Amino acid sequence: MKKIFCRLLPALFLAAVPCAALADATLDSTTLLRVFQDSRPGFEKRTFLPATQFLGVDADKLGDGNLSAHLYGWGRLDLADKSFNDDQSSGSLTYGYLQYRFKAANAQARAGRFFVHEGIINEQVDGVSARTDLPYGFGVSAFGGATVHTAHLLSENSDGKGDGIFGGRVNYRYGGLLELGLSGVYETKAPVLSDPALSGRFGDRRLVGADLWFSPLRMVQLMGHASYNTETMGVAENSFLLQVTPLKGVTLSGEFNDYHDRDLFYSSLLFAGMPSILSGNNLNQQSRNFGGKASYALDEKTEITADAKHYTREIGKADRFGGELRCSLADGKLRTGLGYHYLRASSDFAIVPSSTASGSFHEMRVYAMRDTKSYQVSLDVIDYLFKKEVSGKESALEVLGSLGYHFSPDLMLSGDLSYGSSPQNLDELKGLFRLTYSMTIAAKGDTK
Amino acid sequence: MRRSPQTLTFLVLAGLLFALAACAQLKALPNLPATHPEALATGPVSCSECHEDQQKGTMKAFGAFNHSAAFKANHRFYASSDDILCASCHKVSFCADCHTNQTEMKPSVKNGNRPDRAMPHRGDFLTLHKIEGKLDPASCNRCHGRANNERCIVCHR
Repeated sequence: MKKIFCRLLPALFLAAVPCAALADATLDSTTLLRVFQDSRPGFEKRTFLPATQFLGVDADKLGDGNLSAHLYGWGRLDLADKSFNDDQSSGSLTYGYLQYRFKAANAQARAGRFFVHEGIINEQVDGVSARTDLPYGFGVSAFGGATVHTAHLLSENSDGKGDGIFGGRVNYRYGGLLELGLSGVYETKAPVLSDPALSGRFGDRRLVGADLWFSPLRMVQLMGHASYNTETMGVAENSFLLQVTPLKGVTLSGEFNDYHDRDLFYSSLLFAGMPSILSGNNLNQQSRNFGGKASYALDEKTEITADAKHYTREIGKADRFGGELRCSLADGKLRTGLGYHYLRASSDFAIVPSSTASGSFHEMRVYAMRDTKSYQVSLDVIDYLFKKEVSGKESALEVLGSLGYHFSPDLMLSGDLSYGSSPQNLDELKGLFRLTYSMTIAAKGDTK
Repeated sequence: MRRSPQTLTFLVLAGLLFALAACAQLKALPNLPATHPEALATGPVSCSECHEDQQKGTMKAFGAFNHSAAFKANHRFYASSDDILCASCHKVSFCADCHTNQTEMKPSVKNGNRPDRAMPHRGDFLTLHKIEGKLDPASCNRCHGRANNERCIVCHR
């Protein structure tokens, strides 16, 4: 099946290219050749040379001008040792669908493989969907089809998903003041699993939820959503965000998130199956966090941000705080930034919890990037400094440098070299070659 | 309570008339543009720099979509109800750089030449995830709960 897919995917893209040439179209191609070696003591020395091709095609104004086609996917071929799993080659169609935009009411219909982001719904579907605004501020959307399966859990011959899925959202908007939405997703019966430990922890994906956007003043926005698991009969998630823009360039936001692990992870075979790591053996426990962020855009070129967040779990409490500065100079040709955050966490959050361990660490990052018509160069340095040593290491450092040359505005060849030193890999040197090609046949407001 | 055939016919006709009237009104409802009519500058945008009024398609103020640091950090709240507005400027592949179903490399590796873009798991996240996963597993679940977990299941069986 995988072989058929690997052959079918390039054929599909090749077939799409002439279609794209006939319409307003964009084609994006990124070819990556990575080079790295595993020479850890005690392991067999291996050299990896995976070549990965990402390809995206968007063809607009097909047919009567309202039809468009969208394709995006990737394929990988290992030129040396197997780099990711037991397959020498692999690939995936991320999305591939036809879309028809009607001339009014933001109505559109899709058929193929696509993502759905509506209210509490975040799914990838092989099927059809439709949405439209309705009179008096109402709106409706619906989708249905087959689930897109992923990797099987090693202990089970399944990824834990049912085979069919459908759902939708209805919403009401009152101009500039309020939006209320109700959404739901129903997946057909989840596969029966052999592990008896999953009994009561894992099951069908059936959620309903509500979402809110409320803006009593132009400078104030309150957003949020809540989801309810109809299988476990419990609230899975409550998330709210309050955003205030009191002055030009100043944005203040506060967020509150409340999760109930059993209800939230119930349809995830991976997360439902590892309660001892995440939350002891109590899957009904709550996770809660709240925090705030303040950002100030000094001008169009510079933005400074400060943030803080408090986490509460039954195993302990933690706080994270820090700030960031970002600059965009010389008409965006020079972009720099630096940031610092500190996570203050009790020993319960440590990698190996013990009375002498700590989950606290400092995070420091600085980067700079110069992008001109002829070349692109960047340097990115990230260092995590642990309060208590992890596997005998005080920090985890990564330095990534990149140098590229624009053969034309559409075609660029670049190379990355990264060095890492961390508790996982004592010293790590990786290389990457990147060829990017981005062709636009008709102008779109912004391509990225 | 059984309804007579005449009552049922009347109800069906009334429903059809209501649906037809609603469909006729749909033509009067505005459409968001498929693409932004003018080329935009590189980098984060502030819609309110050019637009002062309210979006006709979303019925929300343009300023609500200014791409501040807070907006970028919390864009999930906007995308879940206004993804059709996002699509005016962003191709779906822009979102798919991070939000995907099956991938073999971190977004920051694919886009290693773009340190200016906010991307998850930069640096040695292999070590960090052992702390972050206990701290806020719901944030892991969002992307890796039912997708993008081929590498996770090697250890978390």
